[in-house]
Amino acid sequence: MTVVDQVEGTGGDWQQGGGRRTDEWSECLTLIAANQDRAAFTRLFRHFAPLIKAFALAGSSLSASVADELVQEVMLKVWQKAGAFNPDKAAASTWVYTIARNCRTDMFRRLQKFDTPLAEEDVFPDQESEEPFALLQGRRTRERIRELMATLPPDQVQILAKVYMEGKSHAEAAAELDLPLGTVKSRVRLAIQKLQIQIDR
Amino acid sequence: MAKFHPELDLLTEHAAGNLPLAQAACVSAHMNYCEQCRRTSSQLQALGSVLFGNLQGVPVGEAQLDAVLARLDDEPPLSYANARRETAGRTPAILQRLMSGDFSDLAWKKITSSLSISYLKTGDPNYEFALYHIKAGGRIPEHTHRGSEMTLVLEGGFSDADGSYHQGDFLLREPSDVHAPTAVQSEDCICLAVLDAPLKFTSWKYRWMNPFLQLRPG
Ligand SMILES: [Zn+2]
Repeated sequence: MTVVDQVEGTGGDWQQGGGRRTDEWSECLTLIAANQDRAAFTRLFRHFAPLIKAFALAGSSLSASVADELVQEVMLKVWQKAGAFNPDKAAASTWVYTIARNCRTDMFRRLQKFDTPLAEEDVFPDQESEEPFALLQGRRTRERIRELMATLPPDQVQILAKVYMEGKSHAEAAAELDLPLGTVKSRVRLAIQKLQIQIDR
Repeated sequence: MAKFHPELDLLTEHAAGNLPLAQAACVSAHMNYCEQCRRTSSQLQALGSVLFGNLQGVPVGEAQLDAVLARLDDEPPLSYANARRETAGRTPAILQRLMSGDFSDLAWKKITSSLSISYLKTGDPNYEFALYHIKAGGRIPEHTHRGSEMTLVLEGGFSDADGSYHQGDFLLREPSDVHAPTAVQSEDCICLAVLDAPLKFTSWKYRWMNPFLQLRPG
């Protein structure tokens, strides 16, 4: 039962070693959930708000005032939903990123006056994984991807950034970079392989 | 367990939040049945968060922080103590959000003796989002599509010249594909079909820049 041992072992490290840099944001979220800790929230805000604003402005499709509105909306959600954050399942920055992505998409739809009963949160429900191995993976995935990202050639990082940060479809990225769609798709695929993202079929 | 899955590029666009709402809902519904795609998707989202963390931050004024702090008391943290987790495997939660009741409560429009269709409203103006009910052993007349068609099997199963598909299986047909699906003999088949509407805007995200659609934030 190595897997279970490892899960517990890592959890234990985290409990004791609160000083580890990568866990600072998890700790803030836990403090918010437990005590409505405003100091912890302020620390999170100072770190994430500039990233959320950059994310809003990426692809320069939203104005600065809409970007500020998005920052407020995302950070309020972070405050409200802190209790749903599970440090065993995902890195805190992944959790914040998914809220920012959902809010940005909802904002695009509001700006387009979509009349929809769905929020982007409905598209990405919090589904439990039954497998302990997947749980263990989830927590370490981000660190592994972050390290491997540094080894990718710039043309692959550029396309990933267009797709994820600028919100461009593969087809839009291809048009902008003046590349065939097939080239864009294969660069994305190659990058994902190098990042060792698991694809079981 | 599903045997037919969205391709990696579709999963990537989904994880990045780039798919049109109707298609995103269909891919999301597939994941209700598919542990493998859930796992890949969560890693693809972790990839997004690494790119997010690598962004060059844009300064945010103290006034913004003060404004948010002032709103915190009105928006207390929600309690998740008794939160009900989505249970995978049942009718996808996202479809339940679009239906009141279950499949039998929907308004079904009879198309042929073996095919009925019920349209669900996602609010996505560019895609038709519909449930197809095919009677056991029934056949849908051969057809092609003007645009792409996503299909997800929700109940029962069907087959066509290329294979047979069961609960959770996901298919993407391109416009030129011709097919004539037949439901399995043993039970009725219900699937979700998402079709490109004839008029499609290439970049749904930027359409609001059209002055007639412009909105003021806040
Ligand atoms: Zn799948």
